[in-house]
Amino acid sequence: MKNPLIALTGFAEKRCLKGCVYLGAFTRALKNISRRKVRTFLVVVALGFSIAIMVAIPTGVTANQQAIQSIAENFNNTITAMQEEINKTATLIECTTTPNRGMQAFRQGGFFGSINETFVDETVADAIRSINVSGLMGVKDVVPFLEKSSRENVSEAINTPFGSRTVYRPAYTIVGVCLNATVINNYSVLPTNITLGENLSEGDSGYVLISSNLTEYFQATVGDTIEIYGQPFIVKGTFESASQPRTVYMNISDAQKVTGLIGKVSRLDVYVVDASYATQVAEVIKAAYPELYVTTYQDRLENLQRMQTMYTQTLSNAEATIAQAGATATQLIIVAVAATSLIVFFVMLYSVRERTKEIGILKALGFSNWNVMSQFMLEGTLIGFIGGATGILIGSIAAPFFSSLLLPQLNLFGGTRGTRFPIQTPYANLVGLQSYSAAALTPQLIALVLGMAALLAAIGSLYPAWRASRISPIEALRYE
Amino acid sequence: MSELVLETEKIEKIYRLGGRSIRAISDVNLKVKRGDFVSIMGPSGSGKTTLLNILGCLDRPTHGKVILDGVDVTAVPEKELYKIRRYKVGFIFQTFNLLPYLSAIENVELPMEGTGKSKGEMRERARELLKLVGLAEREDHKPLRLSAGEQQRVAIARALANKPSIVLADEPTGNLDAKTKYEIVKLLGKLNVEQGTTIVMVTHDSAIASHARRVLFLSDGKLLAKEKMGLLAKEKLVCPSCGREIGADHAFCPYCGRKIE
Repeated sequence: MKNPLIALTGFAEKRCLKGCVYLGAFTRALKNISRRKVRTFLVVVALGFSIAIMVAIPTGVTANQQAIQSIAENFNNTITAMQEEINKTATLIECTTTPNRGMQAFRQGGFFGSINETFVDETVADAIRSINVSGLMGVKDVVPFLEKSSRENVSEAINTPFGSRTVYRPAYTIVGVCLNATVINNYSVLPTNITLGENLSEGDSGYVLISSNLTEYFQATVGDTIEIYGQPFIVKGTFESASQPRTVYMNISDAQKVTGLIGKVSRLDVYVVDASYATQVAEVIKAAYPELYVTTYQDRLENLQRMQTMYTQTLSNAEATIAQAGATATQLIIVAVAATSLIVFFVMLYSVRERTKEIGILKALGFSNWNVMSQFMLEGTLIGFIGGATGILIGSIAAPFFSSLLLPQLNLFGGTRGTRFPIQTPYANLVGLQSYSAAALTPQLIALVLGMAALLAAIGSLYPAWRASRISPIEALRYE
Repeated sequence: MSELVLETEKIEKIYRLGGRSIRAISDVNLKVKRGDFVSIMGPSGSGKTTLLNILGCLDRPTHGKVILDGVDVTAVPEKELYKIRRYKVGFIFQTFNLLPYLSAIENVELPMEGTGKSKGEMRERARELLKLVGLAEREDHKPLRLSAGEQQRVAIARALANKPSIVLADEPTGNLDAKTKYEIVKLLGKLNVEQGTTIVMVTHDSAIASHARRVLFLSDGKLLAKEKMGLLAKEKLVCPSCGREIGADHAFCPYCGRKIE
């Protein structure tokens, strides 16, 4: 009859190959453990907690390290993409009626609340087109856009540090694009990665291109008719873009018609003849139209740099916290490891003392020192094993609680504690971190923890068991 | 009854206590033949237990030799002594010394652990022994649920588990009432007669001691030269109450426990 604990604890009695020392010792160990119920319960709970710390803390730290790594990658990718985008548009001056065109992410999700949309006359485009620089024609082209929120709103629950609340934001944004050949051919005004159907083309009217995340909202796909501001439009295609939120592209004249904003635009992309003219042209536009938010290549570059600085700061804050958490975790684990062994050590030492007489009897009956030692080792290991199982149970339930209780709080935005922004900002979504993750209980982890617990318990019971084996039988038999 | 099981040669035990030497036993020459039942009598402090511990390899003599089954156990290294205790010696204690959390049968199985017997063999042998001592019905009882006499019977069965060459009984009746005492000593006598078990028993009770084949006397650590013949060696008498054969000089019948007029 094979005893599973023999393999686990690595004991092997050379002189007793087919004997039942371990079966008997195992049975006695179980009986001894179960007959002192209160003590066993207390010990197992204590062991359970220290083992739960071993389970919960490292996995929490690892999970968050991984999260931070992927965030750093995200940041770098985003910055690189934006950098490329900006570099392509050295001759572009953006004039918008709403601020922060450069930080799309912030505009979505609505933590700025609803955007107060304003518009300017189309004629502004003609005026800008005629700006001269040192007597020469400064502007090559002006591309008008009309961006307007949908009439319909969708509700969304937002988690803030002060609780959850519901906000309403537009279901989508209409982008009216000038669909003439020069514009389409020379400037990137339409999305490029079409997933279904076709892109809008020159002179299209009554057609829309919708972001693929809107197909569900409209319950429509390519070829279907959808209603926008009460007017029917045929979906010509869908497009996919990570940075593009829910958007409907259409001809600018259609957009002006359906929204009732005849002759109005919300954004003008001004292309200067030469990149060196950009600053001067921008100054003129700013002076003439103070209601426009004007950004040149230079401004966008600076914006990007500011963003990059902020990202870097955030990341380094997060990394600092993780490093600190790692250090704390190491200390905690050392304490937990020591505690596990020490608990078993003291319990077994007490048990040996209490059972001195029994040791004497066993020796008088012909038990060898090794038999006695393995009896107590087995018992200690078994307690550790039960403690390990309890630890896994406690750890799997209370891992996040342990992590947040014992580790420094993740702090992405500097300052002393917590976040300054509501947690559910798009920015925090990008960051993807709200709290320490729970431990994922894989079979490997369970096996590792049980093995660890048994090993630590075996180490803890080594000395008490050795002491038991050294007890003189006569002394022990005299002991009451 | 010819072969020597146990022989001691001038054994002596000296304890050192705070610089003073205390001679617990000295110059003990003892010969026990196979199948013998020897009781060693002496007042408390005469060194009976010390002698028995030395014979059972729980303790070592300061001087002299102990030869058990032809082996000089005083020359066996400490680490190997457990084998002698396991296979050659069976112990019976005054306080029974059963493990309280094991059942009767598990207690009997205890010495067989590590002898290479399978669980089934151990169980079978333990059952056989419990039957021999008259406790077949009580194998699952824990010691606390057994009477003192029954506990001592379990201890006797346990002592016989590995078919030892010699059974050493240290005041086996010391914790028993008058009636039970005789039952136990009668049981030892029966084992000696029927199973041929070699027994050395120490006691301070002369009535108990007299049930053996030979009675030796220990005084101040020395074995006296005089030797008395025990009841087992004497003529059989018949108990007037139960009609069974008993030895002479009985105060009580070892079978039915009635007082002998």
